Amino acid sequence: MSVIGWGIDVIRRLGQRAIDGVGRLGRATFFLGRVAPSLGLILGRFRLIVQQLYMTGVLTLIIILVSGAFVGMILALQGYNTLVRYDAQSSLGLLVALSLTRELGPVLAALLFAGRAGSALTAEIGLMKTTEQLAGMEMMAVDPLFRVVAPRFWAGWIAVPLLAMIFTAVGIIGAYVVAVGDLGLDGGVFWSQMQSGVSVTNDVLGGLIKSIVFGFVISWIAVFEGYDAKPTSEGVSRATTRTVVSSSLAILGLDFIMTAFMLRGL
Amino acid sequence: MDTDPLVAVHQVSFSREGRPIFQGLHLNVAPGSVTAIIGGSGTGKTTLLNLIGGRLHPDAGEVRVAGETVSSLSRKGLFALRKRMGMLFQSNALLTDLDAYENVAFPMREHTQLPEALIHHLVLMKLELVGLRGARRSYPGELSGGMARRVALARAIALDPMMVMYDEPFAGLDPISMGVIVKLIRDLNDALGMTSIIVTHDVAEACTIADYMYLLGDGHVIAEGTPAEMQKTSAPDVRQFMAGLPDGPVAFHYPAAEYLTDLKAVGGL
Repeated sequence: MSVIGWGIDVIRRLGQRAIDGVGRLGRATFFLGRVAPSLGLILGRFRLIVQQLYMTGVLTLIIILVSGAFVGMILALQGYNTLVRYDAQSSLGLLVALSLTRELGPVLAALLFAGRAGSALTAEIGLMKTTEQLAGMEMMAVDPLFRVVAPRFWAGWIAVPLLAMIFTAVGIIGAYVVAVGDLGLDGGVFWSQMQSGVSVTNDVLGGLIKSIVFGFVISWIAVFEGYDAKPTSEGVSRATTRTVVSSSLAILGLDFIMTAFMLRGL
Repeated sequence: MDTDPLVAVHQVSFSREGRPIFQGLHLNVAPGSVTAIIGGSGTGKTTLLNLIGGRLHPDAGEVRVAGETVSSLSRKGLFALRKRMGMLFQSNALLTDLDAYENVAFPMREHTQLPEALIHHLVLMKLELVGLRGARRSYPGELSGGMARRVALARAIALDPMMVMYDEPFAGLDPISMGVIVKLIRDLNDALGMTSIIVTHDVAEACTIADYMYLLGDGHVIAEGTPAEMQKTSAPDVRQFMAGLPDGPVAFHYPAAEYLTDLKAVGGL
């Protein structure tokens, strides 16, 4: 192939990718438009959401608890190591609490959720599509968007902020154990610094808003990718990978934007 | 076939990704009958069921079920119609996270407010009909192919539909399971006063239970008649299919370039 032909081919492929990407985004938005109004309907059958809350939220608890504890303990060790140089180790509690509530809690919990529950949601819906279970429901006059997709979407959205709060709380406890038990910091100082330095409206609420946004984005991506997956084994595996990759990138990108807004004000 | 048909497929054309599947397809299904639609793989038999069930819309022509034009129904109307249709998928399409009992109960729970005791009775009745009352706590993964198909059949008749569509109901079954399914389709049709549409390429089984048969090919009906008429016909394309001859009007070879040219082309020579 000539160089010009090759160049044109590259441009054509780039264009095709861009068009595919925009097309997907459009489909995803339409899809969201069909799923989101289901809340009213689904509240009538709250059991469906509770079931999914168990599958997505409760079953993710272990990884959240363990990771949260370790992140808190590491933060305490690293933070102490730096703070002690400036004789500011009494601020360790504040440092840990601010890092966790504002950044690490929402972001890490969301990343873990995307890997543990988001991928599972995509694979489950994708496999249901592959094995004609969704088609079967449609033929039984049951709307799979309402019966299968919507409960998972809402449950995922609800689960992420809750998991992020748990992550943060466990992280702080982990840091306390290391700081007071191992590094010999005073427990009273640890808590009182935190109490005086952490603002509910700025820090806690900011972190909560972040995790609500992350929960929405992960759940949306996960259920859409599953529903949109090619009904083959390769299609489902690709969709699952895409869920984890897209959610992770979306979480980090959105985190940067939201942090910028929160620090500078709107 | 002078009575008002339950399903009327009228001059339907349909193409998928530019490839025409049906052109001027025309067939009727009489109420109370077992109608078999036979044809080779890729002749659009499953597509036809999807057109009847409203999952696909024809490019031209119309599909009428129980007097309603399927493609012009609203989503609500379509769902109301589907509650009166059962469908048995080739893959059975059982919900894998529910056991046999819950699978059969699924349409009842979704569409009715029946008390649990009544659902229990109904589910056991349906499972008894297909002989699997004893396997009600088995999950689809634990059932054999034939048993899973019978559970799917019990689910298809869960809401006492006016008609059931069977997509390749005999595919992949051992002879005994096949015999069971063949008998069940006929018996259920007559006992419950349903109408059955069977899409299949198993000619012998179709002949044993069908009241009327259509042979599809080239996007339209190439022959129709009772099983006896179909087996007696002398038209070569019908004979080839009914007798399962490997070559004939339907060529053994997929269209290709000349053999010698293709052989020489290896390695870009």
